[in-house]
Amino acid sequence: MNPKINVKDYESIVGKSYIEELTMLANRLSGKTILNINSTFVGGGVVEILSRLVPLLNQLGVDVRWQIISGDAQFFKVTKKLHNALHGKVEPISDDEFSLFLETTEKNLNQIDFSGDIMFIHDPQPAALIAKKNDIGKKWIWRCHIDISQPDSRVWEFLKQFVINYDATVFSSPNFAQELPIRQFFAPPSIDPLSDKNKELPAEAVNAVLAKYGLNQDKPLILQVSRFDRLKDPLGVIKAFELVRKNFACQLVLAGGTASDDPESEEVLAEVKERAGGNPDIHILDIAPGSDIDINALQRAATIIMQKSLGEGFALTITEALWKAKPVVASAVGGIPLQVRNKLTGLLCHSIEGAAYALRQILANPDYGRWLGHNGNEHIRQHFLITREIRDYLLIFLTLARREDVISL
Amino acid sequence: MVIIDWLRVNWLYIAVPVLVFLGVFFISLWLRRLTYNAIERWLKERKTEINTIIVSVTRRPFLHWLLILGAYIGLRVSVLSPQWKSLGGKILASIFVAYLGWILVRLSKELIHLYLNRAKASDRAVAITMSIVQVTVTVVGILILLELWGAPLTPVLIALAAALAVAVIVLHDVFPSLFSGLQLAQQKQIKVGDSIRLESGEEGRVEEITWRNTQITTLDGSIIIIPNSKLMQTTIISDGKQPKMAKQPFQFSTRLHLKELTGLSASNLSQLSSRLQQVPDAVVYYHTHSFVEEYQFLTPEPTNDFALWVQDALGYDILAERLASIDTFEFSAIEALRQRIIGVIQDFLAQTSNEREAPPGNEFHFIKSISVVLPTSYIAHNLAEFVGILRRVSIGSLFFHIFEAKLRLQRGTNDFSLWLEDCLGEKELAEQITRLDPYNYTMENLRETIIHLCEKKL
Repeated sequence: MNPKINVKDYESIVGKSYIEELTMLANRLSGKTILNINSTFVGGGVVEILSRLVPLLNQLGVDVRWQIISGDAQFFKVTKKLHNALHGKVEPISDDEFSLFLETTEKNLNQIDFSGDIMFIHDPQPAALIAKKNDIGKKWIWRCHIDISQPDSRVWEFLKQFVINYDATVFSSPNFAQELPIRQFFAPPSIDPLSDKNKELPAEAVNAVLAKYGLNQDKPLILQVSRFDRLKDPLGVIKAFELVRKNFACQLVLAGGTASDDPESEEVLAEVKERAGGNPDIHILDIAPGSDIDINALQRAATIIMQKSLGEGFALTITEALWKAKPVVASAVGGIPLQVRNKLTGLLCHSIEGAAYALRQILANPDYGRWLGHNGNEHIRQHFLITREIRDYLLIFLTLARREDVISL
Repeated sequence: MVIIDWLRVNWLYIAVPVLVFLGVFFISLWLRRLTYNAIERWLKERKTEINTIIVSVTRRPFLHWLLILGAYIGLRVSVLSPQWKSLGGKILASIFVAYLGWILVRLSKELIHLYLNRAKASDRAVAITMSIVQVTVTVVGILILLELWGAPLTPVLIALAAALAVAVIVLHDVFPSLFSGLQLAQQKQIKVGDSIRLESGEEGRVEEITWRNTQITTLDGSIIIIPNSKLMQTTIISDGKQPKMAKQPFQFSTRLHLKELTGLSASNLSQLSSRLQQVPDAVVYYHTHSFVEEYQFLTPEPTNDFALWVQDALGYDILAERLASIDTFEFSAIEALRQRIIGVIQDFLAQTSNEREAPPGNEFHFIKSISVVLPTSYIAHNLAEFVGILRRVSIGSLFFHIFEAKLRLQRGTNDFSLWLEDCLGEKELAEQITRLDPYNYTMENLRETIIHLCEKKL
């Protein structure tokens, strides 16, 4: 949690009227309790969002709580497989593994205190908790943070049996919408501009981090920040960099971390290190969880920020890059096109060659890069800061039972 | 007998002072009459309450002061011994000082009532001020009398200085506001009902000016109370005119936007056209306004999602151009807009033999716009307040009153024009705003353009 976080601090970023609107909405939720449930308190985009969302909503006067499901390593290995399969990757999942998922859910059903008026369940891991609805009623919303635009049909059918019992779902991109008999809302995720990862940093702090990781301050820096995951295509990034480096002196930084529910990341990290070989301009940084200032500094030091993912939920790293007014080169997958309007707020690519082509355009035209970065920064301010996500959730909580297109509150 | 004999011998010693007394008295009476008649004539032409009070309060006492003057001169010309003359002079001077003090107290009482009532001072404030004046006059009078009779003044002056210091400490915050209140009332720089803006940025309507504070209702409906002393020190921007009040105030609303996914998608033009026929108005509204809303800060490009998709996903540049050029501003109902879009697609399809398919992952997803409308605390009672609020409201508020009012709520035009014409009688201004095509502005430019048009009317 963030005891220091204060909703008033956002006024200077989004404007007074924005905060006034949030307060008006929060006042209308007075007396209701919202219970968030996800799978971990540590690591990953969902945790980053919830750790801000909960205290900020509490400050606005909404009683918001946060609980996690418990499970052993085997359970999280199964949920990781489910996660990958929902992303479209072929994963052999046995009946025993589905059974383990259900058994762990059953244990959690008996352990969790479901006090609240609205149950806000995040991602597939706790999705089956909807079974409790038969006992306690209440309003249930499933918040899907991952890309399920092309899911493994077997896994999706398994998950869908739970999802259809919710009152509504929330997806991060229109592409993720499914044929469901329940309402589906679209609420892209967001970043906190005041978090350690996104706040302004003095030049000395940035230089200190560059020195810490042995990076050259004078050479253009291409950066991709993401967990070491095959879906982020770190090997593709290295290939694109090698294509660009033929004509431009530059350095590549692949900065990653791990999450407690991602047992595969160590394996991918080893592959990436092997692929980078002895290239002195490729820096593989295994950054420990919580090193947010380091990530922030690397992003602020970067000339271009990449996100050449093969599949994405939303790509908050792109949001962070745009917020820092950096030109970005990113794959047109998942939620990235929502943030990067090609040639207006960044450059989109569909291949390794396309990524290299876009990198060259920006390296050769720094003014163009600055213009893209400026536009991107304003785009994020308007649409992808945590204040907007809070507003979306408040609106969903308030209008769940209303069916009109124009609702007066 | 002794007295009569004395008078026979000394009648001249009596008659001369009496005649001098009577002479001085009547000459002064005549001069007083001339003076007061002149003053009254002057007052008739420029009647001010202050002068009327001064004349009415001093007219009769002036007569008595002339009597005292006559007596004093009579005494001076008499044959009395210097000791008796001195004693008589001191007595007459003492009577004059006491009488003058009493009249000054009466006069100040009348003036204080006049000024403080204008400044809406409380009874307590009037009583305090009266007491201060009474004490001051009495103290000064006593000091003069003591001086007159030759009494020692030093201990009295020390005691007075101490009392004055205590009074200043106790009432230090009262005086500045009180005098500022008097100044405000006298100079009439601001009046109740004026729309003002302060140096600090606060803006609103003056509701009340009291002897200590001025109360202002700000544009968002909150009340601020400013001590008059501070108000006099700050820069106040006011045109000093009483604004024309609207028949009904304009309550600004804001609109927040929720996006609901329909689960419907299209991967080619035929699907796009047929789905477009079925979807609710809220979907058509969303896809004809989402780009405008999302990139309103960056570009005044009034394109729509259909045009963007047929270009990006299908590569139909000509159709994209035709769809983008549909002028949404022309339409006052979504159904008509929908039919125009479908018509353009159908015309294109009629000339196309092989339909293209969108690459996987690039399908068109139909999204529904849900508008959540909330009343804000901003209420405009006149044009100046309207402009002040317009500078502050959110982009969502502008979208609601300009775009949604016309097309979604089918009010024929934007809310601003409706109010300006119906409630303020500003027909020309209303028409100017109605004629603005909001789709061709960034929202901040649109805001500034409307403000500029309104300011020309202020």
